[in-house]
Amino acid sequence: MKRKTLLIFLLLIAILTAGCSKNKASLNDNENIVELDPNADFDALVEQARGTTVTFYGWGGDENRNRFLNEQLAPKLKEKYDITLEVVGMDIDNILAKLAGEKQAGLEKGSIDMIWINGENFYSAKENDLLFGPFTHKLPNFDKYIDTEDEEVLYDFGFPIEGYEAPYGKAQLVFLNDSAVTPETPRNTQEFLEFCKKYKGKVTYAALPDFTGSAFVRTLIYDIVGHKQFLTMEADKEVVKEAIEPALEYLRELNKYLWNQGKTFPATNGEVDNMFQDGELVMAMSYGPYAAAVGIEKGVYKDTVRTFVFDNGTVGNTNYIAIAKNSPNKAGAMVVINEIISAETQAAQFEALKTLPVVAYDKLSDEEKARFDKVDIGKGVLSQDELLSKRLPEMPANIVPIIEEIWLEEVVGKYNE
Amino acid sequence: MKEPSSNKLLKLFLYITVFAILAPMVIITLWAFTNQWSWPSLLPTSYSLRAIKEIFAPYGNVFPILLSSIFLSLTVALLSAIIAIMAARAVVFYDFFGKDLIDFISMAPNLVPSTVFAMGIHVAFIKMSLANTPLGVIIVNLIYTLPYTINIMKNLTESIGKDLEQQAYVLGASPWKAFLHISFPLLLPGIIASITMAYIISFSQYFVTLLIGGGKVMTFSMIMVPFIAKGDRTLGSAYALVFVLSTLIVFGLINLILKKFQKRKEKYNWN
Repeated sequence: MKRKTLLIFLLLIAILTAGCSKNKASLNDNENIVELDPNADFDALVEQARGTTVTFYGWGGDENRNRFLNEQLAPKLKEKYDITLEVVGMDIDNILAKLAGEKQAGLEKGSIDMIWINGENFYSAKENDLLFGPFTHKLPNFDKYIDTEDEEVLYDFGFPIEGYEAPYGKAQLVFLNDSAVTPETPRNTQEFLEFCKKYKGKVTYAALPDFTGSAFVRTLIYDIVGHKQFLTMEADKEVVKEAIEPALEYLRELNKYLWNQGKTFPATNGEVDNMFQDGELVMAMSYGPYAAAVGIEKGVYKDTVRTFVFDNGTVGNTNYIAIAKNSPNKAGAMVVINEIISAETQAAQFEALKTLPVVAYDKLSDEEKARFDKVDIGKGVLSQDELLSKRLPEMPANIVPIIEEIWLEEVVGKYNE
Repeated sequence: MKEPSSNKLLKLFLYITVFAILAPMVIITLWAFTNQWSWPSLLPTSYSLRAIKEIFAPYGNVFPILLSSIFLSLTVALLSAIIAIMAARAVVFYDFFGKDLIDFISMAPNLVPSTVFAMGIHVAFIKMSLANTPLGVIIVNLIYTLPYTINIMKNLTESIGKDLEQQAYVLGASPWKAFLHISFPLLLPGIIASITMAYIISFSQYFVTLLIGGGKVMTFSMIMVPFIAKGDRTLGSAYALVFVLSTLIVFGLINLILKKFQKRKEKYNWN
């Protein structure tokens, strides 16, 4: 009996190892990879991409965007290029974990083509050699519609892009409150402190490293100590801490008047938004500049909700699309990205999602300009001109986590003596 | 039963339990149709069909994904129960080298943080060409469900013992027959518990399924979690409602099928 079990056990191990070794050999068989000719022009790429599938991985928590990609962009790509777009909702952390795992396993033909990415994640993905590029110079629409000299096209959170990602949409931090509840819209940090004093316990922001909470703290820092010094600052904790000391003092002062006296902060900006909708807070914030219009249209915000920003501006950034280094269909990905940065798609996206377009307005034809101009952006928002005139650049990607760390140590639950 | 007061106490507990289960369900149902529900209103101040429209929107493929997700989790649950029955018998009835170790290892997936575990197994699965395949997802789900099912079956197998089966051997029954007609009916409550437990663990698995399935194998949790993580209460509640209802229906069916099986067996045994 015992011998029999042992025999079966050994046999099983033999089968498993045999299976593994066989699979290892076939792990990187190249039959399905669409080989990319580095000298191919765009027309050749289009031809190569015909009849293929392109996967697009990115955050899936926005139903408007999911609908736009699946109902507007995907059918258009199918019709125009015979490309099937597969949209997969996945958080960027998981996407990067997946890419890192595939790289570690030596998988040359991965599963991800296009990635929605920016900032710190782009920095770490590019540093770890997870991205394909440079590719933007191959896209005809890149030269045609994008301002190639723009800071945000050259740098992503201060980190050189070098053609490894193409702009997808622009975001900017905005503040929201309800004009029926709070008549004032603070225009700087001093007025914001007064606002918090008046509505004691009814203002807060999401705990860092929440994306929006973190951007909010950076905006306060900019207003207090200015933004220029950070662009060239060394990513050293002591240096950063010294530079932002006045802002830390301000944040600790602010704590007294915040929700729960700043002892705790909501974990996500989603929670802050829910508390605002419920009337528990009198102010919300969003990285989507037209969040007020979207919320009013959905019906989750009252009609009296409106947008405001500081006079000195708020941080804005661009989000991008990159291609995975082990993407099985790089030609297809480039064709799709080229389509996304076209005036037509950007205008459609502006209508459907209310994200700031990435195309340069002065590069548009009159007809295209008219299409952007007639978009009715909705209630409670600021104009694109006003937003862009009060837009501050993001800090270098490697300073952001340092500030988040300092905030945890020096601000949460701490008060000035 | 003798003391009316203890009976009352039991009833009170029952009511509290039922309330604790039903009250959140009522709130979730309301939220699925709610637009605004601000303090201090007792009921939502405005309603909408936004979430329902979203769930039924054809581009989202919510129902095809739900069905394949149910099928996947059922497969995991059945396999998990079968493996657990065998593993429990092995550990309880036989003595072999490394028995304690195997007993301990069966608990290991729950001792290691799932993120760490998932990252490691992801690389291993890519090398075995199991990543991005339903088979890979089923295997990784099994790893998470087995600690529970093995423990359920182990305790039950221990308490039933081997005596009845041995009696059958003496009367000339083959081991398979003895198991099928004696142990299996006795183990049935545990099997039902194992299957339901494994099903719910597999059905609500998010991170591991996401990493191993790689977006190629879609499950219901994967479309639900982004909305809950974002804090969209209306859509989150609507998805949660579909989650709970579909699970209840599946549990009802499992119970029905296995109970029928048991009845048939009983009839057969008594005749």
